Amino acid sequence: MKQSIIINGKEHEIDVDGDMPLLWFLRDRLEFTGTKFGCGSGLCGACTVHVNGQAIRSCVTPVSSLVDQKITTIEGLSENGDHPLQQAWLNNNVPQCGYCQAGQIMNAASLLAVNAAPTDDEIDTAMQGNICRCGTYQRIKKAISEAADTLAKEA
Amino acid sequence: MSISNVSRRNFLKGAGVATGGLVIAVALPANALAEKGILPESSASTLNAFIHLEENGDTVIYCGRCEMGQGISTALPSAVADEMEADWQRVTVKQGDADEKFGPQATGGSASIRVMYQPMREAGATAKAMLIAAAAKVWKTSADNCFAQSHFVINKINQQKLGFGELASIAANMPIPEKPVLKKKSDFNYIGKKLPRHDQGAVVVGKRTYGVDTKLPGLKYAAIVHCPVLGGSLKSLDKTEAMKVKGVSDVIEIPRFDIPFGSIGGIAVVADNSWTAQQAVKKLKVEWNLGENAVYNTKEYKQQLVANVEKPATLAAERGDLETAFKTAKSKISATYTGGHLSHAPMEPNASVVWVQKDSCEVWASTQSPADIQKVLGQYLKREPKDIVVHVAMAGGAFGRKFKCDYVHEAAVISEKTGVPIQLIWSREEDMRTGYYHSISAQHIEASMDENGKVTGWLHRAAFPSITSLFNPSLERATDRNLADVTNHLFGVENFRVESGDAKAHTRIGWYRAVYAIFYGFAFSTFADELAHKAGKDSLSFVNQLFDNNKNEEQQEQVKRAKEILAVAANKSDWHNRAKLPKNQGIGLAVHYSFQSYVAMAVHVEVNGDDIKVLNVDCAIDCGQVLNLDGATAQMEGAVVMGMSLALSTEITFKNGAVVNSNFHDYQVMRITDMPNVRVHIPDSDENPTGLGEPGVAPFAPALSNAIFAASGKRYRDLPFKPLSV
Repeated sequence: MKQSIIINGKEHEIDVDGDMPLLWFLRDRLEFTGTKFGCGSGLCGACTVHVNGQAIRSCVTPVSSLVDQKITTIEGLSENGDHPLQQAWLNNNVPQCGYCQAGQIMNAASLLAVNAAPTDDEIDTAMQGNICRCGTYQRIKKAISEAADTLAKEA
Repeated sequence: MSISNVSRRNFLKGAGVATGGLVIAVALPANALAEKGILPESSASTLNAFIHLEENGDTVIYCGRCEMGQGISTALPSAVADEMEADWQRVTVKQGDADEKFGPQATGGSASIRVMYQPMREAGATAKAMLIAAAAKVWKTSADNCFAQSHFVINKINQQKLGFGELASIAANMPIPEKPVLKKKSDFNYIGKKLPRHDQGAVVVGKRTYGVDTKLPGLKYAAIVHCPVLGGSLKSLDKTEAMKVKGVSDVIEIPRFDIPFGSIGGIAVVADNSWTAQQAVKKLKVEWNLGENAVYNTKEYKQQLVANVEKPATLAAERGDLETAFKTAKSKISATYTGGHLSHAPMEPNASVVWVQKDSCEVWASTQSPADIQKVLGQYLKREPKDIVVHVAMAGGAFGRKFKCDYVHEAAVISEKTGVPIQLIWSREEDMRTGYYHSISAQHIEASMDENGKVTGWLHRAAFPSITSLFNPSLERATDRNLADVTNHLFGVENFRVESGDAKAHTRIGWYRAVYAIFYGFAFSTFADELAHKAGKDSLSFVNQLFDNNKNEEQQEQVKRAKEILAVAANKSDWHNRAKLPKNQGIGLAVHYSFQSYVAMAVHVEVNGDDIKVLNVDCAIDCGQVLNLDGATAQMEGAVVMGMSLALSTEITFKNGAVVNSNFHDYQVMRITDMPNVRVHIPDSDENPTGLGEPGVAPFAPALSNAIFAASGKRYRDLPFKPLSV
């Protein structure tokens, strides 16, 4: 029986070994390369995507565990690249190499979805699984706070 | 230096870009293009940058240096656009492939802006002059009556305007100005301003592609396991189980290629996708002959380095009479400082795509040195380096690691043997275990002071396996040149001796962001603080005195700038009010000159038992004229974080020749929870631009050591301060 997964609103047949982590299904099978490989063990957060709105590490999540689930990747976070976090990332010139930033943004989006006004400590706790080797943490914090403010104004 | 207008020669046809507009190339004296027949011999040149202006006004500015997050592909093109009076909104930046027309592309040593600032400005100014000449011709007036502004040339007399695009083809036939006039600083549009990076929009939607993201039709994926010990070789291989994995097509043995930046040797599995390849690699049954470096244990090795610097070593440099200074000293102190190996651990592991065919070889790679890829692959494939086509991809961090192309060489071997395009991605574990490591090190300093606390003698012994060992494996110790930054340090001490302790390399040593400045900066600035305490003096005035004692005429300007930047960091922090801080808080200062720039830091720390919390960091840099103020600020913020990682936690350890660490759980880099409040201070400067990517790393660790001492009386002399035991 065919099994499928919904990625950024579109259904895709799971036509690979079910043990394959979602990361590699995205990158090598569907060629959605916005989601990055960093450690392969759920230690760095570069591969973060959403399952039903919640952040997960796609490098350690078998695709077979996600049948009929709704996946959102950085490519699908917003229609026009204008999610408040994406805007705040631009306003603060957050990225340096940028490699970890898709994971950072997806993780932050998951945080804001459940906590619209996080404190600095709450941001730290939520974001501590996402490594940025370039060291953009100060700007990440500021951008998340700004995005939260934007969301509060929109609400 | 000369400027060539190459559009008439359809130069870009070969590069696959539409012609018809204006193409400006900046040229350094050379004859490479003449040899290629692209340029006549009279204008022989190696082009190092160029502008392409379309007839609709769209402007492409190429960046020849490699981008890895340091922002060079915004900074350099923005200097071109500024001088050209181009509208940045009309500019598209493209990364140049490996090509000598771009001049030196090897991106390291914090040299890009220092080397390319002037040529890039001249490229822009030349284009502007030709556009103005074109407009003057149309209007039958003098060029003096015209000026350029925001993608237009404007007639001063009657306010007529012509767009750059309209002028492109006419401008292409204008003579090249001999000496283009550069703008005054007060007229800069982009230089020195906070220009956003050209590629941020792509990053935040996941569309910025890196070396690891290259996709080609028919692409196969490879994973690799290396011999864990440098110099080892394959003993036996059983690939039966690996070959049984569905989707696996090949197992390829990659022999050690014994040239700098060649593969260390490994076994690769080729499959339909990366994950399958990675799974199959784990099923290989491999045995290695580990070779002579299997004796390498960093714990014992570091002890040996300490022993080697705590006894007389090989003289590297000397001035004055150290013996007499030591004999007549009022007081003497000594200290030994150590540091461990470091792995760059960029977030994007080593990755590339290579396709070797009978008549061609094409590479897509995150790299800091495309010419080295051409050289190594050319040597391996027995082809001319220029026949290796290298597309330079954005690197997802590099920090010195991607200067070395062993991973590209391996992909080339696999592609050559399978005949298909290969994407090889190293696992994080392979990246951490078979890297090029920052040197493990020990330094021992002895100094004498007179009754006034003036430093009269300084003996500095350093021992570390040198990067030079990559090119000369029999090297026994660091060379005089490796020690030059000790010899030429800006502290003024009349009687001074530098010695090099024995330190043979047992692993590959490589440039790591800030390189030697990491441990030299640590030893000099920490020891200065120790001396100040011994002399009972304020650390800031003591360090200033050390600078003032420098009587070398040639270093007076440097001394002045070092002192000034130290004053900025101190003044911006609470240094002068530090007596009012809670008892368990302290501020430490450090200043270090490296990559021709001056960086000072004031680190404010709170210490509770073993817990070290960095509260604030005031980081001041004098790197001359800044190209992009926001980019420069970001580089300093990042340097603080990297300095923090190496000061507090990161260390690569070896046991029986192999690296013990494997991933981010046992090589703990700083996370967001550790982030202090970083304030970056960049005083305005008219000096020539100097290094920016690396010099910010060095002062953090000594400033932190000094701060912790101020807060707790505990002195940390070994990097990292709180190592993780693995």
